[in-house]
Amino acid sequence: MRLSSRNRAAVTFVRDILFMDTIIQQLVNGVTLGGMYALIALGYTLVYGILLMINFAHSEMFMSGAYFGLFTMLFFTDEGMIGKVTSALPWMSWLTPAREFFLGSTFGLILLFVIVFGVAAVLTGLLGMLIERVAYRPLRNAPRLAPLISAIGVSIFLQNAVLLWVDSKAIPFPSIFPVKTFAYGINSLKIFIVVASFVLLIFLDTFVSKTKIGKAMRATSQDRDAAGLMGIDINSVIALTFFIGPALGAVAGIFHGMYYGAVIFNMGFFPGIKSFTAAVLGGIGNLRGAMLGGFVLGIIESLGAGFISTGYKDVIAFVILIVVLIFKPGGLLGESVVEKV
Amino acid sequence: MKMRNTRFFVAIVALIAVSLLVVGCGGKGGNTSGKTTLTIGIGAPLTQGVVAIGQGIKRGTELAVDQMNKRDDVKKLGITFKTTEGDDQGDPKTGVTAANTFASDRSLIGVVGHYNSGVTIPASKIYNDNRIVMVSPGATSPSVTAQGYDVVFRTCATDDLQGPYAADRALKLGYKTVIVVDDSTAYGEGLAKAFEEEFAAKGGKVLWHTKTQATDTDFNALVTKAKAKNPAMVYYAGLYNAGALLSKQMKNAGLNVPVIGGDGLYDAEYLNLAGEQAEGDLTTCVGLPASMLPAADQFEKDYKAKFPGEEIGGFDAYAYDAAMAIMEAAVKTAQKDGADKLTSPQGREDLIKATAAISFDGVTGPISFDSKGDTKNKVVTLYKVVEGKWVPQAEDK
Repeated sequence: MRLSSRNRAAVTFVRDILFMDTIIQQLVNGVTLGGMYALIALGYTLVYGILLMINFAHSEMFMSGAYFGLFTMLFFTDEGMIGKVTSALPWMSWLTPAREFFLGSTFGLILLFVIVFGVAAVLTGLLGMLIERVAYRPLRNAPRLAPLISAIGVSIFLQNAVLLWVDSKAIPFPSIFPVKTFAYGINSLKIFIVVASFVLLIFLDTFVSKTKIGKAMRATSQDRDAAGLMGIDINSVIALTFFIGPALGAVAGIFHGMYYGAVIFNMGFFPGIKSFTAAVLGGIGNLRGAMLGGFVLGIIESLGAGFISTGYKDVIAFVILIVVLIFKPGGLLGESVVEKV
Repeated sequence: MKMRNTRFFVAIVALIAVSLLVVGCGGKGGNTSGKTTLTIGIGAPLTQGVVAIGQGIKRGTELAVDQMNKRDDVKKLGITFKTTEGDDQGDPKTGVTAANTFASDRSLIGVVGHYNSGVTIPASKIYNDNRIVMVSPGATSPSVTAQGYDVVFRTCATDDLQGPYAADRALKLGYKTVIVVDDSTAYGEGLAKAFEEEFAAKGGKVLWHTKTQATDTDFNALVTKAKAKNPAMVYYAGLYNAGALLSKQMKNAGLNVPVIGGDGLYDAEYLNLAGEQAEGDLTTCVGLPASMLPAADQFEKDYKAKFPGEEIGGFDAYAYDAAMAIMEAAVKTAQKDGADKLTSPQGREDLIKATAAISFDGVTGPISFDSKGDTKNKVVTLYKVVEGKWVPQAEDK
């Protein structure tokens, strides 16, 4: 009798440990996912803060960023691609030693990732600026629905452009990042994603609240016309906004590619919708709100999938969104902070 | 104002002219000078969804049409077969649109397709209404032929064979516990159910059955939960896009057990996407592997000659046989009714009857259909990923 009760205690103890273990693992999954959502959500919230417009093409910025990152990485590391490039253009023969250098040492790897992220962020940022110039600026004084429809058009255009001109199939993302697994399902890639997201979020927050350009952005978001009268170049502020948002989206896109291992033309759709939800959850137009919303949504989704049902994980996330909006229509941080951006 | 009106008028005239031109082109190609052109529709995911499989189905059909057109009896009847593409994107709504486009083509007598069961079921209703023969090379859900439509046939075996076969083989290989994941599609749910029932009945233990979406990319939460249950394997009833990511995420999270799935995973793209992590994964696929088909050598030779550089996929030979079944039946009907009568209502009915009664040696084995329209040649093969390739696994001795 005593033995059996001791056994039972042991079983409960083991089960508790297992349960704790799973909770921590799901939290880790959630924070990683949340970091990506937060980065994308910032793009939505920045644009909304300044133009009061929902940039539905932002999910395609995320997708384009992933493709830019993928191709930059293949360009420097894929033997087949390097072979083709060097045989066509002999002066590119430095690529072969460059590949050995990048893959050969830790410093090379770090440099490679800096280049991949940098190139993708800059190209996607420029693409964002181009889209703003072509599709949104002519409509800046049109009724608010017009740029919204224009954004949906851009989104469909970009998806189909990649579908038809790049590939309709998923392309595997080279697993070059050294993945080391620690306890609780934490691995080096997850740590990298979370840390890099935090660094970017803090950097952006400081940029907007401390620098002069940030001040100009805040002024533009409060009153565009008045800011213009005070000598702020509104067009360049808006262009800058359309550079930063897509650049962050591109970083999230590469994270997504590295984390899930594949890149496909319609990969932007669900993360885009979820991140938009995160932006609304945190209070759209509010930077810290978007960050908070991203992490909250990621964690809810992972815990919901882990402890309630994987099939209902999206339902759970959206039910929470509705509940939050019923009690706090402005989002989690929407009311406490008045100023947008 | 007047200027505007004139411009408007010119625009309208131009529009009408263009539309007439288009209609004019479409109207041609009917039966002129004793020649009959008969069209075979290719209904498959060609630009979205499991494109690798869809393109393979297209190539298989095109090869069959090419070879048929060279045959003397076809030439003597004055028949030329041609193909037309209907991209269903693996999506039921798009599939129905493609089916309606097929139905509006008077010269179209049959369709090779579709691949996804969820697409095939709604599309087959359109074919039944318009009396068009449909032979699917890869829709494996039992529901496809259970609707009572006499125009529906398929050259592949079904999930109620495939699921139990996988369960049986898995148990024999010593995997006693499993987690079942389906992708909430007609195909995935049917396959998962068939697998699960047999696995439990034969003494295996299903630890957890969970649903995901076919578009999911993040399985980390699922994997974490699955890991705590400590399964011997994970059965994924779905397609290779998501299945490969599941396999990869499982192994990255330290759940080092094989994924086992159905024909939806059986494609080179799965290996490409899952990479090294796919090693040891298993899948069943309907029919024999291309290299073990009765007429494999000849088929492979012809295929490589027509499509240099392309690999033969899992369903190409089934599409070839599906197209052959339609065309063989068309030739038989034409010999009886006359080639120009094939597209008439009576000719269509005769073609359906001829297809039901067809019997010939295809590349996948003898082709003939039972009363439901299912193939009588029911073979399922188990494959395993060995050194980055799908390798057929012989039955245990």
